[in-house]
Amino acid sequence: MAINVEKIAGILQNFVNSASDVQGAALVTPDGLPLASTLPSAMDEERVSAMSAAMLSLGERIGSELARGTIERLFVEGQQGYGVLTSCGEDAVFLVLASQRAKQGVLMLEIKRAISELKLALG
Amino acid sequence: MRLVVTGPVGVGKTTFIRTISEIEIVDTDRRATDETAQVKEKTTVALDFGRLQFTPDMALHLYGTPGQSRFDFMWDILIRDVHAYIVLVAAHRPHEFRHARRMLTFMQQRSPAPLIIGMTHVDMPNAWESENLAIALGYVGKRTAPPIVNVNATDRDSVANALITLVTHFMTFQSNLMGTTL
Repeated sequence: MAINVEKIAGILQNFVNSASDVQGAALVTPDGLPLASTLPSAMDEERVSAMSAAMLSLGERIGSELARGTIERLFVEGQQGYGVLTSCGEDAVFLVLASQRAKQGVLMLEIKRAISELKLALG
Repeated sequence: MRLVVTGPVGVGKTTFIRTISEIEIVDTDRRATDETAQVKEKTTVALDFGRLQFTPDMALHLYGTPGQSRFDFMWDILIRDVHAYIVLVAAHRPHEFRHARRMLTFMQQRSPAPLIIGMTHVDMPNAWESENLAIALGYVGKRTAPPIVNVNATDRDSVANALITLVTHFMTFQSNLMGTTL
């Protein structure tokens, strides 16, 4: 079955609009190519995709090498906000950018919901 | 000593490090879904890392870069503070020479470290000669080419030879540097 890119783009758009303090989201392949994204205008989709894949692969490697088990998510906390990377099935990586005002618990829950929706759309 | 192994997609960077490393290498291979998939199944998305005790008091740390330019931020991270690096180029894929040349420029803008060029796949039909490769990579006229060696990334001796050339080249470079500052 062909992947419904429009549907995925719709889910991302919806997620960014409705989730509180979320500024952008992208779904990329594990080798760093964009599938769909809703990102702040200054960010380049290709670059963001490649970075997400590189970071998740290193994170997962750290997980196994340093005996942390399967990685649930990677969390980057900066003064301007958060970047959260979560694996979304075998074929995709989900990146979420949120402002520093975001409540972490709420953010994680929203990400979890978005992922189950995205997984369905990915088939 | 910190060494970087770089070059276009599918030239054998990960294989190069895997062949020579004494430790199990840290790799970040992911299934390729871009045009890379025609060349190989998996592709490096962050870095490879391997280690080799070269002499009793010298350990080589080998870092491999991804090949695709969308990962150029990794090139940028890895090339910093490197002692020397090797650019692998597949001798039978001339359409990649321009990409290799871009990578060379990218690295040289960020690092003054000495480099050598490793020609892989030299046993293939249509493989280029090293003189012609040097020209294709822009080493014409006054720009003298760095040392060019043949490498079979799957052969331990061949990889070791390339590393010896790289380390020797680094040492010559260092002593020349000393000479000019004295």
